[in-house]
Amino acid sequence: MNADDLLRRMAHTLKREIGPAIADEYPKTQAFMAGVVLEKLARQLELAPLHAAAESADIAALLSALGELLAPVVVPAALTVALVALARTRDQTALSGLVGALYETRTALGAELFDCTLGRVRETLRAGIDRQLAYAA
Amino acid sequence: MSTQSHAQNNPLITRITAYLAAKMPQAVGLALSGVERIAVGWSHETWLFDATWQTAGVRHSQGLCLRRDPGNALLRQLSDLGEQYRVLKALENTALPTPKAFWYESDPAILDAPFLVMEKVPGSCPNPWGREGRAFYQAAATRGVLPKSFTSTLATLHTLDWRAAGLEFLGVPEPGTAFARREIAKWRSLIELSEQPPAPILTDLIGWLEANAPATSRVTLVHGAYRTGNLLIHEERISAVLDWELQVLGDPLYDVAYVLSDLNREGTELLSNLVDRSAFYDDYEAATGYAIDADICRYYNALYAMRSVAFWMSASGLYAAGRSQDLRLARTAWSVPVVLARAARDLGY
Repeated sequence: MNADDLLRRMAHTLKREIGPAIADEYPKTQAFMAGVVLEKLARQLELAPLHAAAESADIAALLSALGELLAPVVVPAALTVALVALARTRDQTALSGLVGALYETRTALGAELFDCTLGRVRETLRAGIDRQLAYAA
Repeated sequence: MSTQSHAQNNPLITRITAYLAAKMPQAVGLALSGVERIAVGWSHETWLFDATWQTAGVRHSQGLCLRRDPGNALLRQLSDLGEQYRVLKALENTALPTPKAFWYESDPAILDAPFLVMEKVPGSCPNPWGREGRAFYQAAATRGVLPKSFTSTLATLHTLDWRAAGLEFLGVPEPGTAFARREIAKWRSLIELSEQPPAPILTDLIGWLEANAPATSRVTLVHGAYRTGNLLIHEERISAVLDWELQVLGDPLYDVAYVLSDLNREGTELLSNLVDRSAFYDDYEAATGYAIDADICRYYNALYAMRSVAFWMSASGLYAAGRSQDLRLARTAWSVPVVLARAARDLGY
């Protein structure tokens, strides 16, 4: 049995059998909530390999697009550091750091380039949050 | 055993009785009845009961509400029962309906945690997220009296003389963008306390909020969570404004934006499940003389998204750190992306 299948079945038991058999309000809510948590975890686990691959592809595409966008200009140091970090780790923390660096260097980039660069980053962020909604919503 | 009798036999009730007897040395035969612990919010424990006693042969009765801070509240260090007590005392002599505050104790030796004792105001507080609560507010909306009371009470809150009431201790924001920036800093600090890395969309949201902070044109008392569920209702009117945890001095449109927010209604166009949008605009603007600026309200709506994320990160962080065993808090980890997806849409993507 897969881990996500097991969690889903445990969630079902908690919500349909254990929870309804409990009279007191607080433990009843806790049993139901445990079921909800396990359901979400199961879906997250099920989608994890697919999502990891998509995220990796998205970040690679983002780095490539930003490389082209920023090629004609002198990139502020803080932004360069953030881009290097993202290229190295390719994770959400580095992506967050890149967004922060964009705002930090907004004046140096100028309004047009800032908007354009942030707009491209936001495409990646939207794709990522839509993936998370597949198990969180 | 019923919840009530369980509460009645709770050793804590014995200690509360002893405390009240010490606070009222003239009271003879002090006893508590109708004790119930109500399950509201995720912050403080709330106990309701009736105290009866005699003085000089005359029998007295007083409904009381005790709120105790268990130390793992959603707002962590940002929640302060001592401040709530000061706010309620300051509001006692204003036109705003609030519970009368009797005592506040910070000494954990008394009841293991800081607590506040206040008046139990007549009324009920239907949960707007439940089926019965939604039906209650829908029916009240049709009758029309309660929606008017909802709006006029908010207008009273926003037009009361906070300097005369002695509320300056809440911190008067400097003119300009200081109010919005102070709120951003407050919720950023709660996010940092959660010890979880910020999501990229949250970083974007905070960057946008900082870059677009509006100037505050007037300073009033702001409740911070003015909605059904935080308002006690008695005989079709607001009998008390509750939940004084998020109040600040600042832009009244911060409260207005909360009223207008989609966050506070479910399956209905009625604001806070109760008030017609157009009627709210008309009645609020007429009662306060303040124009509702849609752009500023949209900004504050984005700020509320940041606040919601801070709440959920704080909640799930408390569970992750083992400071709470409440699985409702664990579940909020999955609320963060839902709010961020909505915030991203509000930012245009």
